[in-house]
Amino acid sequence: MASAVRPGAGLPAGPGPRPGPAGRVARARAGAAVYRRLAAATLRGRVRHPAGFVLRTLGTGLVVVTEIVGVVLVVEGFGSLAGWTAPEVVLLVGLGAAGQGLGLLFGDRLEPAFFSEVVRKGSFDQVLTRPTSPLGWMVASYVEVRFLGRVAVGAGAVVWAADRAGVDWTLPRLLVAVMAVVCCGALVFAISVLGGALTFYTVEGSEVVNIFTYGGVSLSCYPMEIYGPGLRAVFLWVVPFALAVYVPALVLLGRAGPPGLPAALAWVTPAATALFAGLAAAGWRAGIRHYVGAGS
Amino acid sequence: MAPDGTVWDTARFVRAYLALLSAGFRRQATYRLALVSGLLTNLFFGLVRTALFYALYRERPEAAVGGLDLADALTYVWMVQAMFGLVWASWIWEFPEAVRSGDFVVELTRPGDPWLRQLAYELGRTFNQMLLRSTVPLLGAAALLPLALPTTPAGVLLVAVSMVLASVVAFEVRFLFGTVAFWSSDYRAVFNIGFPVLWLLSGFVIPIDYFPAALRALAEGSPLYAMLMAPVHVAVGQSVPASLARQVAWVVALGVASRVTLSLACRRLVVHGG
Repeated sequence: MASAVRPGAGLPAGPGPRPGPAGRVARARAGAAVYRRLAAATLRGRVRHPAGFVLRTLGTGLVVVTEIVGVVLVVEGFGSLAGWTAPEVVLLVGLGAAGQGLGLLFGDRLEPAFFSEVVRKGSFDQVLTRPTSPLGWMVASYVEVRFLGRVAVGAGAVVWAADRAGVDWTLPRLLVAVMAVVCCGALVFAISVLGGALTFYTVEGSEVVNIFTYGGVSLSCYPMEIYGPGLRAVFLWVVPFALAVYVPALVLLGRAGPPGLPAALAWVTPAATALFAGLAAAGWRAGIRHYVGAGS
Repeated sequence: MAPDGTVWDTARFVRAYLALLSAGFRRQATYRLALVSGLLTNLFFGLVRTALFYALYRERPEAAVGGLDLADALTYVWMVQAMFGLVWASWIWEFPEAVRSGDFVVELTRPGDPWLRQLAYELGRTFNQMLLRSTVPLLGAAALLPLALPTTPAGVLLVAVSMVLASVVAFEVRFLFGTVAFWSSDYRAVFNIGFPVLWLLSGFVIPIDYFPAALRALAEGSPLYAMLMAPVHVAVGQSVPASLARQVAWVVALGVASRVTLSLACRRLVVHGG
């Protein structure tokens, strides 16, 4: 006679029949709750030393302020930059800075400088044993709240520059601005993820990822007209920062871009960003498969 | 005479610090991946800024805005890339971290002077950086772009001297910043708030020649001038003797300041342990 109760029958875990749609929603909800708790714990740790926390947050914003001061002084000194006025260029800086802040909020600790420690010491072994997605765990446990300072200053710069440049804020334009910041943030985050994935191979940290996380955004601070075809093509179709910052700015300002770079490309931005994020996810998975652990 | 009974004559003294200098040089030589990625980063940012200044001067072709013409501005761009690794050295956190962890106390038990030892060691590392990370971007740019670099041997020598003086000032600025760790374990927060100001005033964002008069005077009067803009001005041949004189003055002034700060810090240093 077969026993009525199999051992472990009550446990939901383990490879078995895939959960139905309702089960998947419940699982996602439970997962989100875990990540929320992890992020909240990180935040509580960060604000334990309020003075330091405030200084760090102000610091991430202040860097953007100095960049804006630099852009305004230079562009006003020369009159214009490739036909763009100082407030128009500041709009680019603001969109890029807000997006970068958003991306680094979640991705800063995946950068090789920090992540190489996790890989080298083998602490990533522990991440892999946890019942969460490794990437989700890394992100939620290392939310760098200080980058909200950069998001705030970037958003403030967008508002100021749009006012000076005479942008008429309609709902579609507002949505384009939000899309720009979100897509730029997603790109910065995706590059951080790729940097983390690269670290599984190099083990040693390398600052070359900064060319894209910081360099891509600082390239987007200026109108694309100033760059040669090579740089333009790379940042349009390989790492699409120009689609995330410059093209939406064209829409907001009602400007026509140079030949081959029309404002209508803004329709492509979400798809291009999603594609790049998909590549980053694939890179991350390949990296994890390559990870061999450390020590005994 | 040192506590262990050795006689510290001048030759011994010089040899000891030269040994530290060459140890620093050799240590930095081991970071090859960092060198390559540093060079690529310099190349990328240099290209972006080159495009920027070409576009700006296209609007005002014959103008010398703030006293700089296109060749001067391009020289500034590539001098910044050549100086970057010397000023914002990758080992900037090592000293404050050693203070925070207590490891620094070992330095106080070693023979000789802790400040001079650190200077010798960091200069050794800096010279190694200079060997490739400064020369490759600068010479590469000079070969392809119309830079305003000196062409006489004496002129080239003065640029090199100015870059060495700037490296010493940068060491002193880093050292002074590192001593924050004696008073606060959260030195990174202090750095985060101070860095943007240093970044702008030292001329890393835009040349201080483009600043409004008051801000420019402030930047020129500050020690940060000796860290970046002085070598740039020497390279483009603007007020060369004055720039070098300011650098020497700041090397001495900041040297005194950092030694005074260190002796104050050591007086309040509390070492934990069993």
